[in-house]
Parts: sequence; C-alpha cells; structure tokens
Amino acid sequence: MNTTSAAASPSDLQRARGGLHVAVKRRGAASVLADLRQDGCLKARFPHAPGWFEAVTLNSSGGVAGGDRLDADFAVGTGAAATFSSQAAERFYRALAADPPALVRTRIAVAEGAAAEWLPQEAILFDHAALDRRLEIELAADSWFLGLETLVFGRAAMGEQVRGLRLADTIRVRRDGRLILHDQIRLAGDAAALLQGRALAAGGAAVATLVHVAPDAEARLAALRDAWAAAPAEAACSAWNGMLVGRVVAGDAAALRATLLAALCVLRGGRAVPRVWLI
Amino acid sequence: MTTTTTMIMTMTDERRALLSLLAWLSPAFPTGGFAWSSGIEWAVESGDVGDAASLAAWLADVLRHGAGRSDAVLLRHAHRAAGDPAALCAIAELARATAPSRERLAESIGQGNAFAAAARAWGSAVLSGLGDVPYAVAVGALAGAHGIAEEDATLGALQAFAANLISAAVRLIPLGQSAGLAVLAGLAPVIVATAEDSRGAGLDDLGGACFRADLTAMRHETQYTRLFRS
Repeated sequence: MNTTSAAASPSDLQRARGGLHVAVKRRGAASVLADLRQDGCLKARFPHAPGWFEAVTLNSSGGVAGGDRLDADFAVGTGAAATFSSQAAERFYRALAADPPALVRTRIAVAEGAAAEWLPQEAILFDHAALDRRLEIELAADSWFLGLETLVFGRAAMGEQVRGLRLADTIRVRRDGRLILHDQIRLAGDAAALLQGRALAAGGAAVATLVHVAPDAEARLAALRDAWAAAPAEAACSAWNGMLVGRVVAGDAAALRATLLAALCVLRGGRAVPRVWLI
Repeated sequence: MTTTTTMIMTMTDERRALLSLLAWLSPAFPTGGFAWSSGIEWAVESGDVGDAASLAAWLADVLRHGAGRSDAVLLRHAHRAAGDPAALCAIAELARATAPSRERLAESIGQGNAFAAAARAWGSAVLSGLGDVPYAVAVGALAGAHGIAEEDATLGALQAFAANLISAAVRLIPLGQSAGLAVLAGLAPVIVATAEDSRGAGLDDLGGACFRADLTAMRHETQYTRLFRS
C-alpha cells in the first residue's frame, strides 16, 4: 500500500486551499496592521471602522467542499484590540462518502492587555456536508476575548433537511498556557432526525456557542441573562473560571442571529457591531 | 505447576477487582451523587421530562450524544494512563475543560474529589497530584491502577450515571420505583452501544450534540426551588 499516491488523488487538484495570517499591533492609541499574508482562496479586507482594528475574511472559492482546507491565523499584540469577522455566511456543500471532511482551522493569539473578537457569519451545512472545524484561542492571563461559532443545519428557505452529516466543531481556549475550555460538537448521521431529540435540539435547526473570557467576564452573567430573557430563540448562559459561556438553539438562522445580536449589544460595551452583521 | 499458580492468582485478582468495582460504583459509595441531577431537575420543571418514556428518551440521548459518551472516552483514556502521571494530569485538565456549565463542572469534580477521598481505603495514590479530579477520570484511573478491566469499568460507570439520574427523576417527576427501574433496564442496549462507541475514540473525539441538555444545566442555576445542586 503506497499511502503517498493514495493521498494524492486527482481530486486533490480541485480542492480549495486558503491560508490567512493577520497580525495587529498597538501604535500609540491605535491598533494597526502589523503583518498580512494571504494564500489561495482566503483573503482579508480592512474596513475603516472607528475604534478597534477590524478585519473581515473573505473566501473567494464561493463555498467549502469536502477536502477543502481553510487556515486562518490571527495575532493581536500587547495592548491592541481587534475584531475579526467574515464577509458572508459560509456554505459547506455535500461531500461524497469517500471525501475527507473540509478542514477549517482558526487560531487567535491574544497578548497581554490585548483584546480580540471572533464574530464570523453563520456556517450553513448542506445535506451530507462533512466538516471538521476548530477554533483555537490562546490568551494571556489578562486578555479579553469574545467569540462565537454558529451552525445552521440545512437551507431552511429551500426546505432542505440534513439527512446525512459528518460534523466535528471544536472550540478550545487556553489561558496563560492552561486549557480552560474544550467545547466540542460532534454529530454524525441523520442530523434532522437526531436533532429532534429533546436533549439535542427539539427540532431546532440552528445553534450557536458564545464564549467570553476576560478578568471580569463572570460579572456579565446577569446582563447576558437579562438580554436573553426575551430572545426569539432558546438561549442560556453560565459563568465560571473567568469565562462566560452561552448556548443558543434556534428554529432558524434569523432567530439565531437576532439572539446573538442581543448578546453582542450587552457584551461589547455599546460599540457598534461590524457592518457585515447588519446586512 | 507455574501456569496453574498463575491462573489461580489471576482468578483471585479478577474476583478482587470485581469486588472493588462493585463497591466503588455502588450508590452507597460516598460520592454524594444523590445531590446532583445534571440538569434533570430543570428538565422536569420545563416539561421536557415528565414520565418514564420522556425520561428514557432524554437519558438515551445524553448517553449516546452527550456526557455519557464523552465521560466514557475520558474514563477509558484515564484507565490506560493509570501508570503515567503526566498523561493523567493532562486528561484531568481536558475533562475539567469539557464541562458545559458552572454546575456541571461542580458536579463532576465534587463527585470526583469525594470518590478519590473515599477510595483511600483501597489505595488511591494514582489520584493524588491531579488537582480537582473529574469523576470519570477518577473512576478510570483507579480502575486502571487496580487491574479492573477497562470494559467493565466503562459499562459500570455508564450504568451508575444513568441510575443516579433516574433516581433523581423518580423523586422529581415523581415516578414509581418500579417505573424507574424499568427505565434503567430498558437503557441496557444504549449503555452497551455507548461503551462500544467510546472504545476506539481518541481524546480529540469528545463532545456531542446535547445542546438543550446544556441549556437545562445552565437554566438550573436560576431555578427558584431546587432540591439538587445541578
């Protein structure tokens, strides 16, 4: 068995690759771009936003198929503040049974006294999608971080149900070198049927996880609970160990987005949400 | 002659291992399990769990797609790492990081620490130096250190987990004792399947999709009248 030739199948040539590295540093009172590398289909735009440095990622491949690989690497230097978001919802297309899952890797390193936000648009899983997504956050002891990941199961507008799925979706947070959060979603098989379970989603078709880590993150628990008391989706949160973690289960992507926006309003000190969130 | 002696020794060891496992997973073992409901208390309050059928469905989901499977994977890896303190420490850190809410973390380490303290009578040096030790890691490591088969420990711990939540639900719904036992008996195939599914899983293959079980654990924190700590 020659594993090298097995790995280099012809379809490898059509698989999309994207690599992105964005480094932000503090200069005077401002946060500015320190380094940028863009490879393949993954690019960044830098809208002029008041306040924090803002980068918006853009996947020019038009969607993600099995075997595609997207690597984004963000670094926020000492004392800097940056918001990272994405231009559009990401579509994860049907993969063949033999296809490896699409690999999406996002790393965000936040230095001492620095702040970072990861506020991407929705991930939309098509029927028979295969996705292995991982968000790795590296924080200093006093870093400030707010991030979220969403999953929308099927295109509701087209009446699509996800009858087949291979999904692993992981958020890992290290603070001062210690692993403080390993949140892993794992779902394989007939997602539409499994998500009917009352312990799973009771038929909900969109979920989100929200993570806030900061020296005062636990003190925001009551504010987030209040903000979610009248949310259009099921949403709850808990705080421990310098973290505030929220979970949302929604009937559709619109209810999910409205619920997340309510959270962003209370957790971002009144700063305007990135423009891509308002479109 | 030597072979015969070894076989007799092995059988004696196996019998002792079985006795240890039965003691450690007995509801009488002082882990304080009766105080925790893993969110079942809120699930009953909200109406998600209201009778034997809905309880069985909820527990089957949590076993197959939630904490049951994840804890089984952690238990197995702790069992395999019983002779490797550094690896065990990393597994304990990972297990703490998988908690989905404040009370679920307290439930895991509250029972784990109590388990480690109570197990001193058997010799539990393997559990020292791990900090707050999550329950699944404590059971796995101690079973590994005492020659208890990984499969037996996994099946036993999964059943003890289900039995403890059923005991909470029997009091909360309320449900008759025999109805609760019927739920436990009916979950046997689910417990076996969960143990099977966890056997080949790596530490990067934890987690599940019990989103609403996580919501119930979080909402329990603000439940007005509470009998349980989670």
